[in-house]
Amino acid sequence: MSLSLLRRFARSMSTAAPSYPFSKLAVIPPAPATPPPAPLLKGKGLMAHLSDTLPSPDKLKLLKTYFSKRHPLRILPGSVLSVTMGHAPTQFTGVLLSVRRRGIDTSILLRNVVNRLGVEMQVFVASPHVKDIKILQRAGGGTGQGKVGKRMRRAKLFYLRDSPEKMSAISAGLRG
Amino acid sequence: MLRLWSLQHRLSPLQCRTIRTTAAARAAAAATKEAPVDSQWTANSVRTGLIARKRGMTAMWDDHGARYPVTVLQLENCQVTANVKTVRDDGSEYHAVQVAASDRPEKTTTKPMLGHFKKAGVPPKRVVKEFPVTPDAHVPVGTTLSAIHFVPGQYVDVIANSIGKGYQGVMKRWNFKGLRASHGVSVSHRSAGATGAHQDPGRVWPGKKMAGRMGGKRITTQNLAVVRVDSALDLVFVRGCVPGIDDAQVMVRDAKKKVTDAAQHNYAKGLFEKILPKGLDSLPFPAGTKELAKTLPPIIAAPTLRRSPFLPRE
Repeated sequence: MSLSLLRRFARSMSTAAPSYPFSKLAVIPPAPATPPPAPLLKGKGLMAHLSDTLPSPDKLKLLKTYFSKRHPLRILPGSVLSVTMGHAPTQFTGVLLSVRRRGIDTSILLRNVVNRLGVEMQVFVASPHVKDIKILQRAGGGTGQGKVGKRMRRAKLFYLRDSPEKMSAISAGLRG
Repeated sequence: MLRLWSLQHRLSPLQCRTIRTTAAARAAAAATKEAPVDSQWTANSVRTGLIARKRGMTAMWDDHGARYPVTVLQLENCQVTANVKTVRDDGSEYHAVQVAASDRPEKTTTKPMLGHFKKAGVPPKRVVKEFPVTPDAHVPVGTTLSAIHFVPGQYVDVIANSIGKGYQGVMKRWNFKGLRASHGVSVSHRSAGATGAHQDPGRVWPGKKMAGRMGGKRITTQNLAVVRVDSALDLVFVRGCVPGIDDAQVMVRDAKKKVTDAAQHNYAKGLFEKILPKGLDSLPFPAGTKELAKTLPPIIAAPTLRRSPFLPRE
């Protein structure tokens, strides 16, 4: 049976989208509406384009607002977050120590002291297991007074691993 | 399950590229016709590869929510420039498809290469490579290859020059343990130590592992799974890492171990279910071209066939 005959047969079987004769189990995601601009075909801005198109719309919204570098609503390190996940532990609350920004591979590091044991968890924001991220207390951007927590003068708060008193200060601010 | 390749008339073993032909077989080969225009992939065929550029890495999540790293490879006007057929002294044949990629300005291309590309009817290219194939897998000269050539779910070998590390010591280059940090070791904490025995042999063996230039060599990473193919942007997403820096030219071909050899062995044994990796019915043959890509969906992804790693095994 020639390939052209097979193509005609396959097309007659399918209703709307063209079918894929080389693998029955292949998944066919929806195609983008507009054709790609010319610079992308040369690789210019390709990885940034993939960062914008690969995640689902709700994950992309998360990445572009809460975990972006300059958005006014971005979550600053020192904030207290609570993440709900599909796998164990289903709920994890902790201080945001760092945001590792890599487009779709963006991840956050949360630290908490559970039963007198320091526990850190790296959560990949675009993972399908991550159901919800709740902000319990934001770290202040400007003065850090009033309702928001203290402003941290670092992007990565790894020093908190060695100072439990500063960790308790953040949790005290949360309870108060 | 429809076996597209088994419906085709089976090619005789003498068309396999590794078998040397006898005089009688040579006569038989001359008598057989050329491959038909609309040919099918068979378990004994070896098809051409492509030249792509490594654009970078990212991460994807499968249906179970397990994260895996992917490398993005992009085809940059990859076209066929020649079909090579060489008859060796003993009469056996070497067949190959020469592929070129990445257009370059005419003024920077040498006159001999300009003539070569003009003969093929393609714009001048930066890189020209050749892929050994079986005689039925020749592709018309001037065909533009597409990412649709690879089927999500199959395995590929990726060949590129590794990142050059310069002159490196023996600990980085050969994973030597070095010497102690203290306890009297003087000035040789990262050295190789002894380089041989005593008077017998009284020399250093050739090939002794020593410090020297590391990296910048041709490296093949085998059996990388193709997870996604985008024919609009000509992207092939492969699972895992690929040698070389971003924007490096890489050669991508069907995995010798998991696709080509597995197909030949399982076909010879009669295990028709195992000829292609799970989920695959056939491969675009002789090659996945831009014309074929127009008839197929623009984005195709591989299914998740493994069990969920988040659920305990029984």
